[in-house]
Amino acid sequence: MLKTLDLPALRQLLCAIAAEFELRVPVQPAPGMRLLAPWPVAEIALFGPPLQPKPTAAFFPQTQTLLTLGADASVELPSPPVRPLALFGLARADLQGIAFLDRFFSAPPADDVYQRLRRDALLIGLSGNCGTERKFLPLAGGHCDFELIAQGTGWWGRAHTPRGAHWLRELPAAEGADLTWLNEKSAQLIDEPQQLLARAAKLLVQERVPEEFWREIAARCILCCGCNQVCPTCNCFCVEDQLRGTNVERRRVWDSCQLDAFMREASGHNPLGTEALRTRRRIFHKLVADPQRWGEYGCVACGRCDAACPTGIGIFALCEQLVARYS
Amino acid sequence: MNPQEASIYAPRPATLLQVENLTPQEKLFRLRLDDGCELGQQPGQFVQVSLAGFTEAPISLASSPTRQGFFELGVRRAGRLTGALHQLLPGARIGVRGPFGRPFALEVLRGRQLLLLAGGCGLAPLRSLIQYCGDHPQDFPRVHILYGARSPADLMFQQELLDWRQIPGFSCRYTVDNRPATSCYNGETGLITRLLDEIVIDPQHSCAVIVGPPPMYRPVIAALRRQGLVGEKRIMLSLERQMRCGVGKCGHCTIEHLYCCKDGPIFWLEEIEQLRGAL
Amino acid sequence: MTINATLTTCPYCGTGCNFYLLADNGQLTGVAPAADHPVSRGQLCVKGWNAHAFVDHPARLTQPLIRRGGEFQPAAWDDALDLVHSRLSRLAAQHGPDSLMFFSSAKVSNEENYLLMKLARAGYGTNNIDHCARLCHASTVTGLAETLGSGAMTNSLSCFDVTELILVIGSNTTEQHPLIGSRILQAVERGARLIVADGRRIRLAQHADLHLRGTNGSDVALLCGMARVILDEGLEDRAFIESRCENFDAFRTSLAAFDLQRVAALTGLGEEEIRAAARLYAGAERAMIVYAMGITQHSHGVDNVRAVSNLALLTGNLGRPGTGINPLRGQNNVQGACDMGALPNVYTGYQKVEDSLIRRKFSAAWGTRLPEIPGMMATHAIEAAAQGKIKGMLILGENPMLSEANQGLVKRALEKLEFLAVIDIFPTETAQLATLVLPAACYAERDGSYTSTERRVQRGRQAVAPPGEARTDWQILCALLQRCGLAADYADPAAIMDEIATLTPSYGGISYARLEGDSVQWPCPDAGHPGTPILHRAQCTRGKGRFSPLSYRPSVELPDASYPLLLNTGRSYFHWHTGSMTRRSHLLEREEHEVQLEIHPEDALALKINPRQMVQVRSRRGCISARALLTERVPRGQVFLPFHFAEGAANALTNNVLDPEAGIPEFKVCAVRVTPC
Repeated sequence: MLKTLDLPALRQLLCAIAAEFELRVPVQPAPGMRLLAPWPVAEIALFGPPLQPKPTAAFFPQTQTLLTLGADASVELPSPPVRPLALFGLARADLQGIAFLDRFFSAPPADDVYQRLRRDALLIGLSGNCGTERKFLPLAGGHCDFELIAQGTGWWGRAHTPRGAHWLRELPAAEGADLTWLNEKSAQLIDEPQQLLARAAKLLVQERVPEEFWREIAARCILCCGCNQVCPTCNCFCVEDQLRGTNVERRRVWDSCQLDAFMREASGHNPLGTEALRTRRRIFHKLVADPQRWGEYGCVACGRCDAACPTGIGIFALCEQLVARYS
Repeated sequence: MNPQEASIYAPRPATLLQVENLTPQEKLFRLRLDDGCELGQQPGQFVQVSLAGFTEAPISLASSPTRQGFFELGVRRAGRLTGALHQLLPGARIGVRGPFGRPFALEVLRGRQLLLLAGGCGLAPLRSLIQYCGDHPQDFPRVHILYGARSPADLMFQQELLDWRQIPGFSCRYTVDNRPATSCYNGETGLITRLLDEIVIDPQHSCAVIVGPPPMYRPVIAALRRQGLVGEKRIMLSLERQMRCGVGKCGHCTIEHLYCCKDGPIFWLEEIEQLRGAL
Repeated sequence: MTINATLTTCPYCGTGCNFYLLADNGQLTGVAPAADHPVSRGQLCVKGWNAHAFVDHPARLTQPLIRRGGEFQPAAWDDALDLVHSRLSRLAAQHGPDSLMFFSSAKVSNEENYLLMKLARAGYGTNNIDHCARLCHASTVTGLAETLGSGAMTNSLSCFDVTELILVIGSNTTEQHPLIGSRILQAVERGARLIVADGRRIRLAQHADLHLRGTNGSDVALLCGMARVILDEGLEDRAFIESRCENFDAFRTSLAAFDLQRVAALTGLGEEEIRAAARLYAGAERAMIVYAMGITQHSHGVDNVRAVSNLALLTGNLGRPGTGINPLRGQNNVQGACDMGALPNVYTGYQKVEDSLIRRKFSAAWGTRLPEIPGMMATHAIEAAAQGKIKGMLILGENPMLSEANQGLVKRALEKLEFLAVIDIFPTETAQLATLVLPAACYAERDGSYTSTERRVQRGRQAVAPPGEARTDWQILCALLQRCGLAADYADPAAIMDEIATLTPSYGGISYARLEGDSVQWPCPDAGHPGTPILHRAQCTRGKGRFSPLSYRPSVELPDASYPLLLNTGRSYFHWHTGSMTRRSHLLEREEHEVQLEIHPEDALALKINPRQMVQVRSRRGCISARALLTERVPRGQVFLPFHFAEGAANALTNNVLDPEAGIPEFKVCAVRVTPC
């Protein structure tokens, strides 16, 4: 059953959630920039561009302590958060990214460092007229405890888990609310990028993309690694040790498959030894390897890598070229 | 899950029992877990060796689980961590995670005639299988060991190469690419494929296992096929990658959709031959 | 748990990207580019994405250290500051104020550069203050000040979006100013033409209409040759020359020596290539010249800059969108450090020390007498210290042990000092030689303003607390100013900027209140002024653009039988200068953890060097080991070394011969011998 809320009700709901959770909500520190900030905030950015950094960073941040090694070979694990996180304002693509990482990190053996932050976290989707300049964003339809569908001046609340229903229980029902056309509109929005990815994936599987294409794209890549940094499903990391007194803090740092040393071995041998091979890997991994292993694309169509790429070779730009040239 | 329970990234302390020089670049480290447990590895598996301040490196197990009370690692000095490891003396404590990875398919290899081929420091991981076979003579009646190294000084386990010849049903031949003029080495020279071409095998009842540096795979596979080793579950090989976590998380060892650390490092040839960048 | 995001300016190159530093419980966890910022536009390079990584490195300096009996021992701040002041003032009293030298830093804020400049001049009575611009764009500051009246980038980064042609000479832009490099790539994508003049096959060269792989050090010949073609073929902008320029006839006469045949011989290029480049450049309605160290770091660096300036004046490519002379400044605040007068001959805003009116203005503002004679350049100060003429030095955030040419000389010089104080964030190679080391806050731990290559003044903001007892540079400098008896009770950097604005016409309208909104490009003389994206619009800053007659001077040390290869040095993409920050940033150090010598495969074959083999590189001044990287990126006969690695310091080899006017060393050309280890 759909519930209805206006802004005061939303603030009230968030206040209630903040009493039990470490709540983070979107704020807009400057035009064009939206990020998750700890509650309370002066003004919630209820619409706007995709969140930066990607919301998956709440559970898998750019730098994350794995453990601390004592001089006596003892191992100390990071303490769990005092209260679980609640993230509000997640778009469908953000939630899909979190779902992707959930599955990835829970594949046996489960990654305790990820789960320490992810366990019990409350996810609250935001859909409807909440994009840049209130552009319509597709309904989440799941992967969260509940979602709020921005509708005119208020929201419809839609629970996806019992926990979500619990939080929405006291809100009034949205009389006569009907999601049919919103669902249709969402399906259309979701379909278009999916079609593009599917067409590109097919060309890759059929080996119809020549090396020349990857060389050409690689020549435009300035190795900023931004595509990997902003991608909600990118999960590669490297590990560093930092000496802290007599202890060693071992932590992981987001890595990038576009870097030469990503796979370079100590001998100098590198199975991904050219920029062209690494550029191909970036796309192939998302569109062919991930579906083969996890059953779906490693691209949630959020558009972040296209926005972060200084030379215009994000995944959409690249797939468009690829489809135009080799279909 | 209780957050205080063990982490998949937490190394277990182990103590260095013995260090042996194998070659100028390689040493054999004998270790025991401090908790007294056996490591419980299968031949072909690896551990993540942890040195505080140097992170971790994947190292193949060089000893068979049939040798109890310790495990052994053959380590080439190549980077910062292995360099630091080479400085350690018996009594030193290091961290170990594992064993990890898919081992040699003993259930398939059992009863077959085996061709075990190693190049360079690939003999260290293969040694775990050789020891295992030697300790189960009834399961492995016929084992050919072929080993190629760059030069006489690079030959690892020189005494064991001779000892293995003494095991009933075993043969062991080795060769070096180059023999320096000053060397007193009087063994064979040439590529390992030459030794392979000289061996007579029964292709219907044989399996081959290859562990070597990347350039070795294609020529050796071609030579094995000339010997009639075709079809599924005939050739196993071990792929080396920059495995940073050993548990399929860090992403450094992917080969297309496979994670070398979980789906490998031991593969049947047909599983990876068509994958770009595997060989 | 507290999470915060602090908008600040990237600490690496001069592009001026802004990003949010993300902190969790007072610990930096990452970086997010500023989507709305006119330069970053939601994008960063790999160094920017990892700019948080070194901040909490365990090697950070956390307490003052004083050398006692050869060992560094922790000291109290007051004792350390007292010691700095007593030693510097005693040396000044014994040997005169000019026995002191102050090195400022292109890594600290405008306010901090201003304070150190004030400390040297007003506190200790010497104009001996300089910073690493001496090693990068001293040639530009000297050359463009002479020809145009202002030694800064004439145009803005947004000009790349409207230009028709870009001539990149001596700048590996995609690696050294990656977000400017990417704008060049995007300009090419939308149809702009690109000429790359660089001996190395840099990434931009793959996208160029024309790649001129001339000999290192032959730029004057190339640029004058192009000018000659333009004049011979009547492609010059007559109207611009007549209305906006002077000294044209002398310039034209000087080109007699640059006939194409000679130019081709000097540069190693084909006559047709040079002609094609000239026609392309002159044929564009709007053409930008982009240059960097490939132009400036020569014993004839100022001549190179003059030659660049001539070409732009000749074709009227100045004062309009999409044109201009665009030196790319290397450090995030090297423009600001120059603007703030951390130079031996000028106060803030390039106001001359020798000008008595100016001197009187600063004297009145600071309440003390000021020295009249311009001070010593950094490079000369190193030589003077080696000769025992400079006795005491204060080095703020610089690491000359790795960054100056001829490391052997630098080491002798620093070791000979009677007193060396170093203020830094890490125990650098230079700090190791100090009498006293003060721990400073890094960019993420202090407020301040920085001026980017396009003269954009913008804020840096504190995201986390400094480690241990480390203090911000401005606090340290205030404490020293007070010990000199000068008023220095600034509440914050904003108050320092207010003082700068009152003394500096080009910064007159700049205040922290204003920088809270959009950043602003100087000159900005008053609060109502919108800033100046493009210089020299109606006329040049000096009035007329001045043509410079030039003659060709070869590099000083060219390959010969004993040292047969030409050594070129510079930066790599993943590291920053002396590596004190990037080599402590895990991902960057992982990517490139050792010094590699780029050598052409045919040269390697002739020298029996295998791929990845360790080699010895020897010059007349030193010898280092490096790993050979066989690549056709370098031309035959040339090898390239980055200078980031203490364990294989390129500057142990480089030649400290200086440009006579700008005092910049010839980092781009010396002769070496390479042998396998």
